[in-house]
Amino acid sequence: MCGIIGYVGSRGDPSEVLMAGLSTLEYRGYDSAGIAVGNGSLQIEKREGELEALEKAVSTKSFSGSVGIGHTRWSTHGPPSDRNSHPHTDESNSVAVVHNGIIENYQELRDELQTEGVIFSSDTDSEVVPHLVAKNLKAGDDPERAFQRAVDRLEGSYALACVIEGEDAIFAAREDSPLVLGIGEEGYYLASDVPAFLEYTRDVVYLDDGEFVTLTEDDYIVSKDGHRVEKDVKTVEWSAEQTGKSGYDHFMLKEIHEQPTSLRQCLSGRVDELAGHITVEELTDLETPRSVQFVACGTSYHAAMYAAALLRDGGIPATAYLASEYATANPPIPDDTLVVGITQSGETADTMSALRDANSRGAETLALTNVVGSSAARECDHVLYIRAGPEIGVAATKTFSSQLIGATLLVENLLEETADRELIGALRDLPSNVQAILDNSNAEAVVDDFLESNAFFFIGRGTHFPVALEGALKFKEITYEHAEGFAAGELKHGPLALVTEHTPVFAVVTGNGENAHKTISNIKEVEARDAPVVVVTDGQSDAARYADAVLEIPETHEQMAPLLANVQLQLVAYHMANRLGRSIDKPRNLAKSVTVE
Amino acid sequence: MNVTSAVVLAAGEGQRLRPLTKHRPKPMLPAAGRPILEHVLDAIIDAGITDLHLVVGYKHERVQDYFGATYRGHSLTYHHQHKQLGSGHALLQAESAIDADFLVVNGDQLISHHTVSEVVDAHSVADVATLAVVESDDAPQYGGVRMQDDHIIELVEKPHSSEYRLLNAGIYAFAPSFFAEVEDTARFDGELSLTDTLSNLIEQNELVRGVRTEGIWRDATYPWDLISLAKTLLVRPGSIAAPVVDENVYVNEDAIVHDDATLHGPVVVGADSVIGPQAVVGPDTAIGQNVSIDAGAVVSTSVVDDDTRIGPNATLVECVTGQGVSIDAGTTIPGGTADVRINTTVHEDVSLGGVVADRTHLGGGTTLTSGVLIGPNATIHPGSRVKTNIGEDAEVSN
Repeated sequence: MCGIIGYVGSRGDPSEVLMAGLSTLEYRGYDSAGIAVGNGSLQIEKREGELEALEKAVSTKSFSGSVGIGHTRWSTHGPPSDRNSHPHTDESNSVAVVHNGIIENYQELRDELQTEGVIFSSDTDSEVVPHLVAKNLKAGDDPERAFQRAVDRLEGSYALACVIEGEDAIFAAREDSPLVLGIGEEGYYLASDVPAFLEYTRDVVYLDDGEFVTLTEDDYIVSKDGHRVEKDVKTVEWSAEQTGKSGYDHFMLKEIHEQPTSLRQCLSGRVDELAGHITVEELTDLETPRSVQFVACGTSYHAAMYAAALLRDGGIPATAYLASEYATANPPIPDDTLVVGITQSGETADTMSALRDANSRGAETLALTNVVGSSAARECDHVLYIRAGPEIGVAATKTFSSQLIGATLLVENLLEETADRELIGALRDLPSNVQAILDNSNAEAVVDDFLESNAFFFIGRGTHFPVALEGALKFKEITYEHAEGFAAGELKHGPLALVTEHTPVFAVVTGNGENAHKTISNIKEVEARDAPVVVVTDGQSDAARYADAVLEIPETHEQMAPLLANVQLQLVAYHMANRLGRSIDKPRNLAKSVTVE
Repeated sequence: MNVTSAVVLAAGEGQRLRPLTKHRPKPMLPAAGRPILEHVLDAIIDAGITDLHLVVGYKHERVQDYFGATYRGHSLTYHHQHKQLGSGHALLQAESAIDADFLVVNGDQLISHHTVSEVVDAHSVADVATLAVVESDDAPQYGGVRMQDDHIIELVEKPHSSEYRLLNAGIYAFAPSFFAEVEDTARFDGELSLTDTLSNLIEQNELVRGVRTEGIWRDATYPWDLISLAKTLLVRPGSIAAPVVDENVYVNEDAIVHDDATLHGPVVVGADSVIGPQAVVGPDTAIGQNVSIDAGAVVSTSVVDDDTRIGPNATLVECVTGQGVSIDAGTTIPGGTADVRINTTVHEDVSLGGVVADRTHLGGGTTLTSGVLIGPNATIHPGSRVKTNIGEDAEVSN
């Protein structure tokens, strides 16, 4: 949930690298931040609040040395405060540690250390680590061994980086929490996410679970179970600047506008109009299973619902599960089942744990993800990349669109029959259709009427049901207003009691078939309760007649309509949040990539 | 002198290019498969200037979405001109980011990196303003210039007199003090023009240096000029992004060209585009990205922009399409010279089959009379004969 950065090298002032890295990692968590720089003794600065507070503190001091670590935190244990911020240290400030993840046995370790007289200065689980390291050092271990023996005591998930007084080295370890090395000309970098050091290098080494790394100015040594491990150096194609806002006020709006481009990337080389087929190179060795289970969280879960609906439509039994409920729901995994994890970051802890569970029960697994080399990509039997490029806004937008297309590509690969020509045409027209919405949307004007509303409801049927859920999720995430999505037909079974003249209802209606007509009946139900109605429609039915406002989308294949409708709802959420002055890219209490369960 | 920063003016719509500028500013219109502005940025970077500032305004999202935060690895800083109140006003939007002598370039005209270098080299510490001057028959329609030795003695906007043989190419080097000169310039009709500031300097007997250059300079004033921009660039080495597969035939790696299709150079086919069997494309034709040209269709001397669909056996000659256009089976856009009407002005003897603006749909078997402008977003029903211009969102059946 948090972000880690580390640097060893010859630049002189490590704080520059650390602060630049923290600022690109800020979206991962932001209720406190801190750095530790080693130059003989350890120099530590940490602050509660957004990164600016730390930047101010750091700018008034001078740091020099060859080694440093930094952290931005998002609370899981203990309220945000200066003292709960990372880095954490031992009692004598000679060991500093940053940690991402959760140490499950921390209470036991803390009790043990306290019995031995150690005084803790924070409420966090992470603080046990520097105390354990210090204890091992006192017992005569060399620094590397002291760190490794401390890590051996830990249960749970962690990416850890540690600096020790008098040592020009960083000691780090990974278990169930991402950690990446950067190989640069002026030193080595360490981060929980590649963009943190992309400004300095594109050559990276992805650490695997159970691995340790020791970084010095001259070398990096990766080891596992006491043996050195040779690692491949990979070159990432993203540029650091791609994380800039390119003239937009918010990453979210930039990313909404990037969708024509990100969809082109997702489709490129995968749809052959001349031959009339859809092929995903990565999936050529994937056999059609007898059933499919999807596991995902949040926005990705909505993409999973969509994917499952398409598969069922094609005759393959498929179910979408919330990853955090998967273990509890404990669905039987029949023979020849494919379990598909949908996760933008490829690091979502709940999804990873569901995938590992499925894997251990013998299912074939597939990751639908945006991040090359992520845990999901490496641990699953198959991977389909959605190629959306980096997404910085906490609220997922372009990655959701690309997940829907990734799902379509996957489904077309799994179904035996060849793709229908109309779908291929619709996929090729998709970038242009999304561009048409971006060029013409009146969402900004529509939200103006609802600034004083009490609650917001989103309804849809069939594949528009996940769109209604996603519309509501996006809306609540960034506006902080109450928003709920419902299957249109469910309104009258309860939620209708909430509908008043102060609760606008957004209804997604496309085509002119049975689903459209039924949804129009549901629109009339809320109309009768005086609720303002906004219809997202392609104009084929007469839904607009019953609406107070209309958000138009181009007419297309019914399978693509949910994606187009969602773009309008993204804009609704964005403009509402903007009018309300919300922190759009970094909504309160939320983090981009949720790496704790 | 050494100049490190460039301000590119990319905020204007380019009204005479309507209806193609409905959804994007002129700098984003295509010149042989890439936006005009991309060629401009190439010229600046090739001249060694890498601190790049873009002033954006009209439909600025399109510029930002296309280029993002960097171009060729150099970061782009965007400055927003919220109201388009002239080139001087546009320049002032970047003032806070500039603290040394700097380059200013129009983002909507094709230029050469040699010209940029010549202007920068001629500009000295003592100069307030230096500008590139090109000899051209078109001078009367642009900024006409008269020179004495190496400085400008007169600068007139659209002099409409054939006495003027030299034009202001819109490539300037300025001292930082030039910003103050712009601020002190009187607005004319609410607008603040760079050339007014330059004229004032000349009147005050300040030295405005002129650099005569032979470098390429091309402007698209009207929609059909996009065809000649493409023609120029298709035979100019280094102008086309796609790999060359034959003499003057460029095909992107991600395009699919059927074995039985014919490409006549000069021609470029963009990424993800598909050319069907028996289709004939070129010469003098630029196909954008994600375009489909179906079996047996013929496209020559044309600019076909991104996401456009051309149905089986359609014929397009001397045609300019916008983005996302659908031209159904058997449609004929025959080419030829015509009198083209733009608003109330008639342009005589223009070689133009037709202009079909963004997301317009021509139903199957439609025939266009040469020189008509259609769209954007218009719908022409199958079998129609279109003889006059058709406006935005219009629906036509006959």
